[in-house]
Amino acid sequence: MEVLDANKRTGNVFNIQKFSIHDGPDIRDTVFMKGCPLHCIWCSNPESQSGLPEISFHSSKCIGVKSCGDCIRHCPQGAICPDENGKVEITRDRCKICEVCQDTCCATAMKVMGKQMTVGEVIAATQNQMSAWRANGGITVSGGEPLMQADFVEELLRQCGAMGIHTAVETCGFAAWADVSRVVKHCDLVFYDVKIWNDEKHQKYTGVSNRMILENLQWLSREYPNLELIVRTPVIPGINDSVEELEKIVDFLKTLNHLTDYELLPYHAFGSNKYAQLGRAYELTGAEALSREKIESWNQQFRKELFGQKRKGGDGLCGKSHP
Amino acid sequence: MMNCCVDALTSQEERILQKKGQLSPRKRINKFLADFRDDTPRIDIQRAVYFTESMRETEAYPMNVRWAKAILNVCQKLEVVITEDELIVGTCGGRGRHGILYPELRAGWFSKGLRDTQKKKAFRISTEDIETLEEKVIPYWKGRTAHDHYMARLPQETREVLYGEDEYGATGLMQVNDNVSSVLNWSGEYGKVLTKGLKGIKAEAKARMDAINGDLTNNEYDKLPFLEAVVIECDALITLAERYAAKAREMAEEESNPVRKAELNQIAENCSHVPANPARNFWEALQSQWFVQMGYKLEQAINGGIAMGRFDQYMYPFYKADKEAGLLDDERALELMECLWVKIADFVQFNATNAGNFWEGYAHFEMLTLSGQTTKGRDATNELTYLILRSKKEFPLHYPDLMVRLHSASPDRLLHETANLVKEGSGFPKFLNDEEIIPALVNNGGTLEEARDYAGSGCTEVRMLNKDTYMPVGANINMASALEMAINNGFVKYGTNYRQLMEPSIPVAEIQSYEDVMNNLRETYDFFVRHFMKRQTALEIANKETLAAPFMSMLHDLCQKSCMDIHQPNIPGSVYKDPGDVNINGFGTLSESLAAIKKLVFDDKKYTLEELKEAARNNFEGYEKIYQSVLNAPKYGRNDGYADEIAREVDEMLLTTVAKYNTPYGPKHIKFVPVTSHVGMGGKMGATLNGRKAGEALSEGISPTQGVDNQGPIATLLSIDHAKSRACANSFSRLLNVKLTPQIVMGEAGTRNLMHLLRSFVDLKLWHVQFNIIHRETLIKAQKDPQSYRNLIVRVAGYSAYFTDLSPALQSEIINRTEHEEIA
Repeated sequence: MEVLDANKRTGNVFNIQKFSIHDGPDIRDTVFMKGCPLHCIWCSNPESQSGLPEISFHSSKCIGVKSCGDCIRHCPQGAICPDENGKVEITRDRCKICEVCQDTCCATAMKVMGKQMTVGEVIAATQNQMSAWRANGGITVSGGEPLMQADFVEELLRQCGAMGIHTAVETCGFAAWADVSRVVKHCDLVFYDVKIWNDEKHQKYTGVSNRMILENLQWLSREYPNLELIVRTPVIPGINDSVEELEKIVDFLKTLNHLTDYELLPYHAFGSNKYAQLGRAYELTGAEALSREKIESWNQQFRKELFGQKRKGGDGLCGKSHP
Repeated sequence: MMNCCVDALTSQEERILQKKGQLSPRKRINKFLADFRDDTPRIDIQRAVYFTESMRETEAYPMNVRWAKAILNVCQKLEVVITEDELIVGTCGGRGRHGILYPELRAGWFSKGLRDTQKKKAFRISTEDIETLEEKVIPYWKGRTAHDHYMARLPQETREVLYGEDEYGATGLMQVNDNVSSVLNWSGEYGKVLTKGLKGIKAEAKARMDAINGDLTNNEYDKLPFLEAVVIECDALITLAERYAAKAREMAEEESNPVRKAELNQIAENCSHVPANPARNFWEALQSQWFVQMGYKLEQAINGGIAMGRFDQYMYPFYKADKEAGLLDDERALELMECLWVKIADFVQFNATNAGNFWEGYAHFEMLTLSGQTTKGRDATNELTYLILRSKKEFPLHYPDLMVRLHSASPDRLLHETANLVKEGSGFPKFLNDEEIIPALVNNGGTLEEARDYAGSGCTEVRMLNKDTYMPVGANINMASALEMAINNGFVKYGTNYRQLMEPSIPVAEIQSYEDVMNNLRETYDFFVRHFMKRQTALEIANKETLAAPFMSMLHDLCQKSCMDIHQPNIPGSVYKDPGDVNINGFGTLSESLAAIKKLVFDDKKYTLEELKEAARNNFEGYEKIYQSVLNAPKYGRNDGYADEIAREVDEMLLTTVAKYNTPYGPKHIKFVPVTSHVGMGGKMGATLNGRKAGEALSEGISPTQGVDNQGPIATLLSIDHAKSRACANSFSRLLNVKLTPQIVMGEAGTRNLMHLLRSFVDLKLWHVQFNIIHRETLIKAQKDPQSYRNLIVRVAGYSAYFTDLSPALQSEIINRTEHEEIA
């Protein structure tokens, strides 16, 4: 009876990406959970931030009111009207996310981001990929913030683990320790973001303080010494892209009980066009990223500091060795 | 999520960008390659002239004896050429890149066809040579060619479905290659000559002749012509080799460079020993192998080329012995093998046909098969396997074609090295799956040991060397046309008009359900299959009257045993019949069109069938809404059960329909090997209901329609698996082309991704897979700037070709194939 109920637990999922090769070792399926307690201004998945469903409108796909206009005719709220380019625009405060426009759009220009899925549905949508999950392939739960839906993610990962599937989460660590702990218990690998050392800056650019994040990380490294733990920092131009800034994070990492790897992630603006689709503005325009080579050389230097000479890193394979 | 989208290049792209061109690490090979790319192949008329000269004189003899005598005449007179630095010698048509002519098939095409060829500039031929043909060759063959005999037997109605007005072209409803070649593809049997020598084979034939002669108790005099032809054939090839030995000796005497002098003397020694006698070392084995290939090539036209068989198996004993004796190191072995690859590259199959887009890019498939299982079911990989993989990495031409057989116990090292080779981006190697093919061959009459010893042949086809004897060439059916007829009362685009070829039982106005559409489709497809069977019958009858292949026959156990020529029907013990398979074009196009009809017309009732058809008739121009709806309907290739189940249903229809019929030579199979005919057929067709615009290529092989399989390569593999109906045991070569961007396979992690993909391919028991790894941007640049990208090789459809040699339509089709790029 309990299993049945657990199976019925739903989570708000906005995408399941097949053949994912950058979210953990090997070929994986990545499940993106919707909703995040942070609002990083560089976020490349703005559709993941709100915990509520949203309509995303792809103007380039829309064939225009002259050829179509079905969404305008069918919207029960009258929330859609033509724009000056002959396409359409959504009056977002009228929209009730009824999905009618998504269903009528012939060009898939309207898309509701966020869908309530049961654990069983998510597993069904991913497990047919199993034949590719040799070696370390498996499931990665990302977001958004998976820990915001700890009930669901805990059960999803528990069931995956019971089937022998390699499990990973990507988290910002901003959650109650109890939630961190019960999810991580079912993980083989955790990607944990430490974004900015200075708390004031952290609050300014992500919307929250980093104190709980850093505390959770200390607990994690102590309570789960056998877990593969990879800490990551996105290097954002003008915000944290200096050795001095990053060195402080590295100093903190040195105090951890255990750590598998530390990765610097280069900034990219691939998500910027998604802001417009959601009717929002992207604030980090014009930012010029550091070169990959630069970031890679810093990363090598930090790895040397953290793990000594032996740690190679940077070959695209997730390290398994402990310091 | 963040660390992707590095600007990765394949090794091939890097070489081109750095203008390294065709560089081989071996100096000798580099010299051969220097002019290769700019050498437009020449059509050589020697074979046609000498063959005809003899055939004129022998009309009263049995066909196999006539053939052998004609080949003897060719071998006595063919120009003997040894070029600078060659280590393996012999050419079927003079110096440089060349094609040769087979007047016995389509001499009637030559006069006009060769003059058109002169204009198109894909091949060179002098007007003087055409005039020689007009004087010495063409007149004799009038009314005597295989094509003349075939056309005389073809029912008028079938003839119109196939050819329309043009006896040497095609309507686009079916792609016919009748008499363009004597057989579609074949894999040679080299081991016998390497181990017995032609003298050994000749001695066996002579002994049998002696036993028959004078024995009037068990009178077997009908077998004598076959044996006589064997003796003549052996003499022919030995004569040719001796002429090469003499030439090499003569050149050695004049040679001042002592190193080259020694080489020439060794060449003379080799050619006086093989193929007459068993090969004594690796070099001789390679030389002997090439003479056998020449024997096959001179004897008859083999469209796809004569495959190399399980090269790493039959060459291994020679390699191993030489290495152990300290006579050979790997560098020398590579140099010798690559001298052979150059010989293969120089021979280009020339196709006498007006049907455009047939095999573009000088396609020929001397497929070399690596690895797989031994006859005892153990992994067959050896050191030579790996050396050949290395050669493929370092030898910059796309010959020979390379096929790796995989199975559940293939070693990781093999997967790792082949994955690294795939990453080079030239489309090599292709992969065949023992786990699917061996059971299929056993189901079709092979013994387990014969099945385990299969060799790749043609594009993705396979052959049991001493079991399969079928020769007549099958045809490709255009499934998009079958659907067009099913929903248009049997009308179909025919040339520039529409024509009613038959009448499906449900008039289009009365179609009420998806089942009605499928009902009509079954009938229109059946219509095409019945015409296929009629043309196949005509071809089978004409071939046995007009063709013989004594050389190929003498190297085949079953022919040799029964003393029957391989072109004769129903040779005792013969089973599997690949070349005559019903070949399906546009599987993805059809499945997707059906999914669009089912979803939009019958499930969602969004449009009527008439509305969809009207939009397609107008090439979707002015019908943007319908166009978008059709594009966004469920698609085969995304592991979406809705569309994949439709594909499975189609597959079941394809197999069960063909299983109903027979030709005089027996039942036929289904295969999905378009080569490039899907481009030609698509070029003649209007828009289709899957959103394919008029003139665009049809989908290729069993692959999803170009550009729709956007859920990653695993999803593609799963859809291909779903579509396999397993309805009958008559399903063979299912060609699958998967395109990947370099990002997916970057670094060691990327190599492992590819290894996992290959293991999944094996697990799912799919027949074949090949990968294109190239940047879309690179292809677009190459299309705009062909000069800078002359060395760019892409896999087209079971073969690789220079991208810039392809027509703009085919180039665009390749560009449009999906790239499985992860979205950031």
